[in-house]
Amino acid sequence: MPIDATNPVPPQFPRIAGRDNIPDHVPGELVRSVGLTFGPEFLAAPHEYMANLHGTVPPIYYDTSEFMNAWQLIKHEDAFHMLRHPEIFSNEGATPFPRDPDDYFYFIPIEIDPPDHRKYRAILDPIFSPKGVLALEQKIRDLANDLIDEFIDKGECEYTEDFGRPLPVSVFLDLMGLPQEKRDTFVKWAMDLLHSNDRAIMAQSMASITAYLKEMIAEKQANPDDKVISRIVHAEVDGRPMTPPEIFGFVVFLFIGGLDTVFATLNNIWMWLAQNPQRVKEMIANPDAINAQVEELLRVWAVTFSGRVVAQDTELRGVKFKKGDRVTAVLPACNFDPEVFPNPTEVDFSRPRKPILSFAGGPHSCMGAHLARLEVKVALQEWFRRIPEFALKEGTKIEYRPGGVVGPEHLPLVW
Amino acid sequence: MTIVNYIDHDGTAHEVDVPNGDSVMQGAVDNGLEGILGECGGGLACATCLCFVDPDWRDRTGEASEMEKEMLEFSAHGTEPGSRLSCQITVSDELEGLVVRLPESQY
Ligand code: HEM
Ligand code: FES
Repeated sequence: MPIDATNPVPPQFPRIAGRDNIPDHVPGELVRSVGLTFGPEFLAAPHEYMANLHGTVPPIYYDTSEFMNAWQLIKHEDAFHMLRHPEIFSNEGATPFPRDPDDYFYFIPIEIDPPDHRKYRAILDPIFSPKGVLALEQKIRDLANDLIDEFIDKGECEYTEDFGRPLPVSVFLDLMGLPQEKRDTFVKWAMDLLHSNDRAIMAQSMASITAYLKEMIAEKQANPDDKVISRIVHAEVDGRPMTPPEIFGFVVFLFIGGLDTVFATLNNIWMWLAQNPQRVKEMIANPDAINAQVEELLRVWAVTFSGRVVAQDTELRGVKFKKGDRVTAVLPACNFDPEVFPNPTEVDFSRPRKPILSFAGGPHSCMGAHLARLEVKVALQEWFRRIPEFALKEGTKIEYRPGGVVGPEHLPLVW
Repeated sequence: MTIVNYIDHDGTAHEVDVPNGDSVMQGAVDNGLEGILGECGGGLACATCLCFVDPDWRDRTGEASEMEKEMLEFSAHGTEPGSRLSCQITVSDELEGLVVRLPESQY
């Protein structure tokens, strides 16, 4: 039965985990423990590890770990199939982010299945469309330059702290209609929530975020503007105003979905640039190809995954899925599918354009994809203009930590 | 506003008033036509907004760009005469009465 967004209740699906809990319909020969997001081999070089899956595991396998058992998809075609059939692969209960069961809310729009899903997306589509985000371009350019001003004369920076993190946070605050003074606080909340790996710190930061966002929602209720929070607060769905849990679930999901993803993407890309000065020269020499360059870098540096719950028994590539099974599309691996992108790990700016999966696909395709593309593009342009030559600080060891959004933890750069 | 005629695969015609400056894709999606999906919101990133421009209109809608042609290869029907990604056609007075046919499915 479809969920009722006005009356949120925690999902009832059992979370199945561990080798001892493999359902009977899963053939033994398809069981693997790949360790995505946390295994030592994965963490040593995550993208290389995911690219190599095309040679090391079957196209569809059943992954088991102490956190969760789920089917994993690594073929471009299969991921699109999953993403484009929400009636079979549902989003209800598919976002495993813990919430207070006594004050429950759904993440909107990600946890809502079609057809209701579209009603929420329609509220913000004009802002997030390719044309809509262009209104932010100059602002992003200014913010990028302000950040660069702060460290350019030092000849070095810690990229993740000095640029990768504050840029998307500043853009986000502007988009949402929140004050820039909150930048460092937001950075800290996001780090504590998504990178601390400490339950007490996570809970504390979630509580701070919740209190602040609720206060801002009330503020926009009283004083409307044309920014995102205000638009959500004053929007109607099915001719009725949204309920407080709907409004909160929408606003907070933008915080969760729109910050860490851009951050990790920038960090990955700059890590590659710093190690490939020849390619930087090539990019700078071809400024008109910037859009193709951004798309190709987004392809090889995809940072996250799509999870679904099977809503009716189905079959894919001869593998039987049963209602209640969880499925994860390993989007970065799908972007390395050699059938679609020959020589997949090579960064080739002249590839023919094809759909990449970094922002997923289907009705839940990332709402912020055009904004994210613009942020990456402007960041590249302004950085290249001001710091055309740069390198990793000597002795740097690139480290990844466990987490659902994949990017290097630190990135000290020198020029 | 400009009138655009969308013709479903089964022949059903929809006459829609689309604001100038919007794309042919947006005109369809905003009016609930199911023959166009536009999953990526008009970013030339999904190829789910395929349409076939009626022969009489092709010189007015112009040619697909190179990048659009590459994306068309990935659409449900590949490139055929008149096939376009409708997010790349901007509605203007010049297109008053435009006729586009929609494929049976976008996947
Ligand atoms: C490079 C940066 C980004 C990446 C890689 C990314 C990736 C993704 C992916 C893979 C999904 C689909 C998840 C699924 O299928 O389960 C998604 C959904 C979403 N993203 Fe992003 N995202 C990025 C930036 C942003 C930004 C900047 C925003 C907003 C400010 C945003 C807002 C959203 C929203 C609202 C959804 C849910 C869409 C829906 O359910 O209809 N994202 N994103
Ligand atoms: S809407 Fe995605 S390519 Fe046209």
